[in-house]
Amino acid sequence: MRPQNLLHRPLTTQKCTLGCPILDRCVGGGIPCNSITELVAESASGKTQFCLQLSLYAQLPTSHGGLSASSLYLHTEFPFPLSRLRQLSATFRNSNSALLANNGHNPCDHIFVQSVHSVDQLLDEMPKIESFIKNSKSRLPIRLIVIDSIAALFRSDFENTPGDLKKRSSLFFKISGKLKAMAVGFGLAVVVTNQVVDLIEPNEGINGLRIGNLGCFYSSGRRVCPALGLAWANCVNSRLFLLRNEEFVSEENGTVNGGGEDFVCRRARRRLCVVFAPHLPDSSCEFEITREGVFGVER
Amino acid sequence: MEVSSLPISASQRGKLISAGYTSLSSLSSVSSSDLARGAHNAWDMLHEEESMTRITTSCADLDNILGGGINCKEVTEIGGVPGIGKTQLGIQLAVNVQIPLEFDTEGSFMVERALQIAEACVEDMSEYNRFLRNDFQACQVKMQPTDILENIFYFRVCSYTEQIALINYLDKFMSEHKDVKIVIIDSITFHFRQDFDDMALRTRVLSGLALKLMKLAKDFSLAVVLLNQVTTKYTGGSFQLTLALGDSWSHSCTNRVILYWNGNERYAYIDKSPSLRSASASYSVTHRGIRNSTSNVKRVKMM
Repeated sequence: MRPQNLLHRPLTTQKCTLGCPILDRCVGGGIPCNSITELVAESASGKTQFCLQLSLYAQLPTSHGGLSASSLYLHTEFPFPLSRLRQLSATFRNSNSALLANNGHNPCDHIFVQSVHSVDQLLDEMPKIESFIKNSKSRLPIRLIVIDSIAALFRSDFENTPGDLKKRSSLFFKISGKLKAMAVGFGLAVVVTNQVVDLIEPNEGINGLRIGNLGCFYSSGRRVCPALGLAWANCVNSRLFLLRNEEFVSEENGTVNGGGEDFVCRRARRRLCVVFAPHLPDSSCEFEITREGVFGVER
Repeated sequence: MEVSSLPISASQRGKLISAGYTSLSSLSSVSSSDLARGAHNAWDMLHEEESMTRITTSCADLDNILGGGINCKEVTEIGGVPGIGKTQLGIQLAVNVQIPLEFDTEGSFMVERALQIAEACVEDMSEYNRFLRNDFQACQVKMQPTDILENIFYFRVCSYTEQIALINYLDKFMSEHKDVKIVIIDSITFHFRQDFDDMALRTRVLSGLALKLMKLAKDFSLAVVLLNQVTTKYTGGSFQLTLALGDSWSHSCTNRVILYWNGNERYAYIDKSPSLRSASASYSVTHRGIRNSTSNVKRVKMM
């Protein structure tokens, strides 16, 4: 074994752009290669939107923040949002036509989708994924793996008994170890999404345990924490949280929270927060989801 | 007075008599170091310990409770929840030491972060030199942040077999690179929390590794820093936080430092050490690296 010289590789880890300069600035240039980044949020916060957009923007040339690469999208929640992907892909193609290699480039051709139904299946897929990446003859090699979502796999199959929990956390480390080994071997960016659970107890107790920059997370007015517990938190390199809070805007006096009658003026305020990451400070940024995709908002 | 009637324990009495000291008068003329043949004198050991190099963490409060920094010749374990700053502390130590060796088992070592901390370190050093008015030409050799990175021996470890192999290979590596002063393993835990059904085997393998690391630390005057994760332990009907790898592992390290949150501040606590009293100190992770906790938080509290 030989030690690596840190100067023989680029002085910044390669990143994959999120497709918006404001969001990129918040996360130090994008999603880093060679490690696992986790997106945590409750449902309808934009996890899948982020992932879809990321798999499109990975196709951009490296000079424009992409990885000039295809992506592999493993989805565990059904159905796969194909119509949304096509919508995003049309916008992506129109706004970046100059950067994509040829006019016949269809972004959807470079996103490989695979459905995963159980933990065992995911483990079975790992060697196949590895040989698929190794033997891929595509013009754009695979450099991005998305698992949307990892929590769905684990939340159904296991009971809340010490034996099952132990088995579960050993599987966490196994999956994460395999993903990390692939990430290093092929220079992949790996993104996994995770769900949240409600926090019922007060601050004490295991779920109230503080992990990362934020003491507690409030999403949709509820106090939540990432699912899968402490063991999984040890398995990811960076964790990003998407918070979502509904706001009711009445016409006369601006903002009224919890109003509820006026559905027309209801809107969600969304925020991306860095919970922990080896290369990022505590930072956050507001974003919105439009027809064209996910964009940061500067205020 | 006879030794057999002295108010001492039976085993000590037995040892004295079998060594030929039967009366107090035969014993009183012998110095303690003669009595303990072949053993090291505690006085000498104390001197040795005082002259031992310590590695600064760049946080004065933390150095304070550690008695000046991370000790060479010893194995120090540092553990805490994700995001508390274990990796940051690891990178900081790697930058502060002239020649470090870093094992990355988790993939959290980011070059840009190391570069950032190295830049801050170089700035601080030149500031310090100016402060001392050290205007001699010889001292003006400008250190570049990239030089610091150049000196880091970095291994990315992807499985526990690799980790075991690398620790076994260290002996040879160290004899070829005698200038290495610190070995950082970030983290010792990750690969040992998967695929180990036989926990007894895991314990044996780990204690074997710990013994090797301790021997390395002694033989090459190295500081060995092991970063560990935390886990929950179920005792007496409630869950408690402990460092991972189990109870028997906790015997394997000379020093043990636990990092934890207290309100919005990060704290380090000395959980185990043969020479330091248990104490805690706050620290903060800034863009320049590990530093003293910003005092304005305290000021706000006082008002």
